[in-house]
Amino acid sequence: MSSSLIGLLQSCQSQARLDWEPQFLSTDQARLVSALVDTILPSTDTPGALDVNVDVFLDLVYHKMYDEEGQQQVAAEMEAFDRDCKNKFGKAFADLDAEQKVAVLKEAEANSPKSGRGVWGMAVEKTEPVGFYRSLKSMAVWAYCSSEEIGKNVLNYDPIPGPYQGCVPLSEVGKVYSL
Amino acid sequence: MSNYNYNYNIDAKKNMTYDAIVIGSGMSGGWAAKELCEAGLKTLVLERGRIVQHLKDYPNIDKESWDWELRGGITPAEKKKHYKAIRTNWIGEGNKDLYANDEENPYTEIKPFMWLRAHQMGGRSQLWGRQTYRWSDLDFEANAKEGIAIDWPIRYKDIEPWYSYVEKYIGISGQALGLPQLPDSHFLPPMELNCVEKDVKARIEKNFPGRNMTIGRVAHLTVPHNGRGQCQSRNKCGMGCPFSAFFSSTSVTLPAANATGNMTIRPWSIAQSIIYDEHKGKATGVKVIDAESGEMVEYYAKIIFCNASTLSSTRILLNSTSNRFPNGMGNDSGELGHNLMDHTYRVGAMGVFEGHEDKYYKGRRPNGIYIPRYWNISEETKSDKFLRGFGYQGGAYRSGWGRGGNMDDFGADFKKSLLNDPGPWHFFITGFAECLPYHENQVTLDTNSLDKWGQPTLAIDCEWKENELALNKQIQEDAVEMLEKSGLKDIIGFDNKHEPGFGIHEMGTARMGKDPKTSVLNAHNQVHGCENVFVTDGACMTSNSCVNPSLTYMALTARAANHAISELKKQNL
Repeated sequence: MSSSLIGLLQSCQSQARLDWEPQFLSTDQARLVSALVDTILPSTDTPGALDVNVDVFLDLVYHKMYDEEGQQQVAAEMEAFDRDCKNKFGKAFADLDAEQKVAVLKEAEANSPKSGRGVWGMAVEKTEPVGFYRSLKSMAVWAYCSSEEIGKNVLNYDPIPGPYQGCVPLSEVGKVYSL
Repeated sequence: MSNYNYNYNIDAKKNMTYDAIVIGSGMSGGWAAKELCEAGLKTLVLERGRIVQHLKDYPNIDKESWDWELRGGITPAEKKKHYKAIRTNWIGEGNKDLYANDEENPYTEIKPFMWLRAHQMGGRSQLWGRQTYRWSDLDFEANAKEGIAIDWPIRYKDIEPWYSYVEKYIGISGQALGLPQLPDSHFLPPMELNCVEKDVKARIEKNFPGRNMTIGRVAHLTVPHNGRGQCQSRNKCGMGCPFSAFFSSTSVTLPAANATGNMTIRPWSIAQSIIYDEHKGKATGVKVIDAESGEMVEYYAKIIFCNASTLSSTRILLNSTSNRFPNGMGNDSGELGHNLMDHTYRVGAMGVFEGHEDKYYKGRRPNGIYIPRYWNISEETKSDKFLRGFGYQGGAYRSGWGRGGNMDDFGADFKKSLLNDPGPWHFFITGFAECLPYHENQVTLDTNSLDKWGQPTLAIDCEWKENELALNKQIQEDAVEMLEKSGLKDIIGFDNKHEPGFGIHEMGTARMGKDPKTSVLNAHNQVHGCENVFVTDGACMTSNSCVNPSLTYMALTARAANHAISELKKQNL
């Protein structure tokens, strides 16, 4: 099978599927999250977000790490995001075609403030709230890169580096470190 | 690798009488235990929490992010349990059990104060930043020269042999600079600076004569030392180190104490107060609450070392009332609980370094750079805006995949870049400023608010004042200027306005001094009027320098313990 055909099959599967039981998200919300992370981190010659269950993990994050207020807020933000898609294209985000999805995310990208830089685990740069899209995108990147498949097999996994070497050619490392 | 399979005697009920009792098993308590046990004293170590045996009790030592259900995240229920310490943003799925339960151990913040506690064997020596610096006479003489608070009863020459003694045993890596304001330790080889740090160092030192940038001095082994292995740059120190490469009491001093056969450690033992015998005119033991049963038991000894951590040690002394000491043990001066200090925290600057995009590093170095104090170290460096000074920590790093959320793109190209491009180099420095000892920065016993065991809690009333705020202003101005002149781009200055406590260098409240009328402890950390009680943790500090304090606690403890041993031999205690 050619790689483009595999890609097509995978993308068809991802369009259709909700082959997991969300713990927090409604079916509509889960479809939105799956479609968003799939668009942000699609499957290519490396695995995509859905291949490593980023959507399943984000559901768990909303379920277990968010307090009630946070859960209500994110639910409202998801509803608003889909409402905008329906107003513009007559469909929820998950049901848009690829071009429409890209158009929606381009706008979201342009309109989402960035998070401030941090020192030792805390922001030191004051910025506007990043909003639903960038918050989800940041969490999707975290969920993706901290997954076992990406962390061990795709990024540069170096669990016991040995004595620190301060200056090595990037070409020797090749990729971004996972840890 | 040495065998760390220790057999701790945890059945301390059999024997109620010892030569020595050490309250607390952390940074300083471990040193007291080691010195006393090695001198042949049967020593009881009281630990308010659980036993943590080196290696055996580090359940997370080999876990990666994907081994955690929440990849290191934390639930609202856990946040509530740690509602005080959660403000540091350091508590996660992997280390939450090393932080005290704030709900069971409340304290009152009359003014905001972040008090971080670790209630298990090893205490905060499992969690510390491992930065290790000597004080100098600039620090010990400052109060006397400036007429601030009271003079220290000791000078650098008194503590210098004990710095050496501790350093040679635990292993400190760093670069000797020969600076009078930051004396060199006995160093193992320094960790390496990365290429951006090397460039920034050269630029700062060229543009700002008198300022130095060096690799952090840390209690990490860069070569094998005393049966322990060298740092492998995993940067998971808080999960416990399989190589025993960083210093903690659980990995170094408590095993040494245990090896003598003279140590008994009693877990779940909350020291409530020290027992004072009015006839003998000295302390005879410690009242202990069993944390599990709530039962009160008493243990007796000839000498007592109080190493419960700064504020907990003072709480014990405040609780130790008698006819002789109606306001707390050693409190003839009225200074017990007063003069609380910390270092200011998270004030500095950061920017983007252009260049070296074809370079990376190998390893996650558990260390950064250090810029030693350069203000008020000579006539030429005198400031008219503030007393004392500050040092910076910081470092350069590539942002890696952590920058993904802020990247401008999404889709296939975005993902490719996320996985293959480590992103721009960032460089930051953040200052730690010395805080003056103010009588009104204090802790008191709050008998209206009791903890889980029915004991009075502490009310903390502490704030930064004019001098600390002026230092912070200078920290930020200098940081921005140094980064600008070093050619960094997109520079921001920052000041997160953290309240005291965030530095987790709380010091004072039972200060050393020459005069019992103005201090709580003498020059050997003995309680004035009750000389067989020693307080050698951060409570004893008369001023607080701008450098990280743990090395000084360890050196003072070893010094006091050896004084105690010699006084016992002379039958003076």
